[in-house]
Amino acid sequence: MKLLEFEAKEIFSKNGIPIPDGVVIRSPDELRRLLDGFTDEVVVKSQVDVGGRGKAGGIIITRKADAVEAATHLFSFPIKGLIPKAILVEEKLPIEHEYYVSITIDRTTRQPMILFAETGGVDIEETARTRPDALRRAGFSPLLSDVPGFLMRQILGDAPKELGPVINNLYKAFCASDALLAEINPLVTTSRGVFAADAKLIVDDNALARQGITANRDLTPREREAEENGFSYVELDGSIGVIGNGAGLTMSTLDLIAHYNGKAANFLDVGGGAGRERVMKAVRLVAGMPDVKVIVVNLLGGITRCDEVARGIIDAGIDQLVITRLAGTNEEEGRALLAKNGYQMLDTMEDVVKEAVKEAAA
Amino acid sequence: MIYGDHTTGVIVQGATGNQGAFHINLMNQYARETGGRGVVAGVTPGKGGQTVHGVPVYNSVREAMAEHDATTSVLFVPGFAAGDSIMEGASAGLELVVAITEGIPVHDTMRSLAFARMEGCTVIGPNCPGTLSPGELKLGIMPPHLAMPGNVGIISRSGTLTYEVINELTRAGIGQSTVVGIGGDPVIGQTFTEVLERFESDPQTKAVVLIGEVGGNLEEEGARSTNLPLVSYIAGISAPPEKRMGHAGAIIEGGEGDAVSKIARLSRLGIPVAGKPSDIPELVRELL
Repeated sequence: MKLLEFEAKEIFSKNGIPIPDGVVIRSPDELRRLLDGFTDEVVVKSQVDVGGRGKAGGIIITRKADAVEAATHLFSFPIKGLIPKAILVEEKLPIEHEYYVSITIDRTTRQPMILFAETGGVDIEETARTRPDALRRAGFSPLLSDVPGFLMRQILGDAPKELGPVINNLYKAFCASDALLAEINPLVTTSRGVFAADAKLIVDDNALARQGITANRDLTPREREAEENGFSYVELDGSIGVIGNGAGLTMSTLDLIAHYNGKAANFLDVGGGAGRERVMKAVRLVAGMPDVKVIVVNLLGGITRCDEVARGIIDAGIDQLVITRLAGTNEEEGRALLAKNGYQMLDTMEDVVKEAVKEAAA
Repeated sequence: MIYGDHTTGVIVQGATGNQGAFHINLMNQYARETGGRGVVAGVTPGKGGQTVHGVPVYNSVREAMAEHDATTSVLFVPGFAAGDSIMEGASAGLELVVAITEGIPVHDTMRSLAFARMEGCTVIGPNCPGTLSPGELKLGIMPPHLAMPGNVGIISRSGTLTYEVINELTRAGIGQSTVVGIGGDPVIGQTFTEVLERFESDPQTKAVVLIGEVGGNLEEEGARSTNLPLVSYIAGISAPPEKRMGHAGAIIEGGEGDAVSKIARLSRLGIPVAGKPSDIPELVRELL
C-alpha cells in the first residue's frame, strides 16, 4: 500500500531523516491558526496518491499571506480524478542542490538495492535512460543492519558525505516499515543541512497487519469486499466476468479471452479448496459489476470439489449467463447439478472462453 | 529427480495445522503408491509428542533430525512465522526447505533466504506448490494423478496453471521428469536459473517448459543461462500496470515486467513461446 507524503515523512522523521518544518491540514481554516510558525514563503502540497503531482498543479509555492487561498484551491482541485483529504504546508527550503535516492528490493539478487543520482527532482526514469552513468546502484546483504561504508562511498562518489547518514537512516526506515520502496526525490542540500523534500513509501501488503495498518486504501470498494472474502481481485473494463482458482490459471483465462478478441471485466482468484459459500460470494461479486454480461468459472484442482462449486453457482442465482469449466473431484456430480439447473459446463478452458466471447458479443 | 527421490526422508514444519496435517496424509499416500519413504516426522513448537496421521511430531527441526534420517522439509507454517521456520530448518542442517506458505512479508523472505544460503540450505518458494517427480517424490501440494513419468521438466511461478500444463502434456503422452513450482512472490529461493542448472545435470531431463507471468525478469534471466531446449508460456498479457494479479510478484512496475515485452525478449533468444497453454505439448514435441 502506498503511503501519502506526510505519512511517509512521519516515518522518515522517526528514523532520523530531517524533513522540512510543516503542518498537515484537513481544511483551509485550520491553516489560519497554524501559519504563525512559518517565515516568508511556504509550499502547499496536495496529499493525493498520484505521480506527477507537481506538473499537474498539485504543488503551489506561495507567500505566507496567500497560503490559505492556495490551500482552499487545492482542497477542491482534482488531480487525475482525486480530491485530497489532507494538505501538507511546509517551509520553503533554501535549496542548493537536489539528489535522488531510493531503496527497493532487487528480485534477481534478492537483496535491498540503493539507487542514487546526483540529479533529483526530475523524472528519474528519464535520467536513467538519457544519462545511465548518473544513476548509481548498490545491493547488499539483508542480514546487515547498516549500509556498509565502502558501498556508501561508492554510491556517493563526489556527492557530499553528509548525505550518507540520511541514506543509512532511509535503509532503517525501509526495514522498519516493511517497505517495498522507500524514496526521497528530491533529497536536498541547503545552508541548514540535508532534508527529504519529498517522501514516498510503499508498504508490503503482506505486512500491513504488523505495521498496524487495518485497511488497504489502494483498493476500490468492490476490491475491498473481495479482500475481506479472501479473494484476489482486480477490476478491468470488459464485459466477461472471470472466476478462477490460482493466480496463474486465472490470469491465463483472462489472456485466452483476449486471444479470442473478448474483453475481461475482472480478475478473481477464489483461492484453493473453494466451497459452496465462497463460490456463491464470488459469482455474486462479479455479477454486481455493471458491465458484466457473462461469467466464466474456470476451476481446476485436487482439493476443490466440483459439486460444491456447482451448488455455489446455483445458489448465487444471478441473471447473467455463467459458463463453467470444472476439473477434479466429483466432476460428474457437478456436471449433473449444473445441467439440471440450466447451466453449461464445458470440458476445457478454451471451450468456456470461446463460448463466453461469443455470448458477450451477441 | 533434481531435488530428491523415493529414498528422501521428509519433515513437515507446521505439521499440526490444517494444511500441514492434510498434506502429510496426501504426501504419504503418494509415497506408499511409489515405494517412497515420504514424511517421516513433523514439527510444531509446543506440540512435540503428538502424532499426525501416524507421523511423530517434534518441538523443533533439530529434535526431529536427531530421531529420523531426513534431509528435506516442506513448510506449512503461517506467514508471520514462516521466515523464522525457514531459518530454523536451515540452521538444523536441512539440505532443502520447500516453503508452501503464502503471504510471508517480503523482508522476512529476503532475510531468511540470505540466512539459509549461508547455512548451505536450498529453499524453494515461498508461496509455491512444491515439487513433483512423478513416480518418485512429491514435496508439497501438487495433485500427482495428472502427471506421468517422462523426460520433460517444468518450472513455474504458478500452481493451478502448472496443473493445467501437466494435464495437457500427459494427455498428449508427454511425461515429466520433475515439476518445480518456484512460487509467485517477488523474492523466491530457487529461481528459473537455479532450477535450470539442476535440470542441466539431470540425465532424465531432455527439455524444459518455463511457465512465467508478469513481473520482474527472472524468466529471461533463466532462459539466457541454459543450453537446454526450452518452451515458454507467459501469463498476464491482459494484466494492467501497477495491479497485483493475485501473486505479490505478479505486478508490472515502473514499466517493467509486462508480458508482451517478456515474450518478445524470450522470442529473441530463440525460445518458442506458446500463445495458450494447449499449444505447449506441440511445441515440446518439436524439441524432443
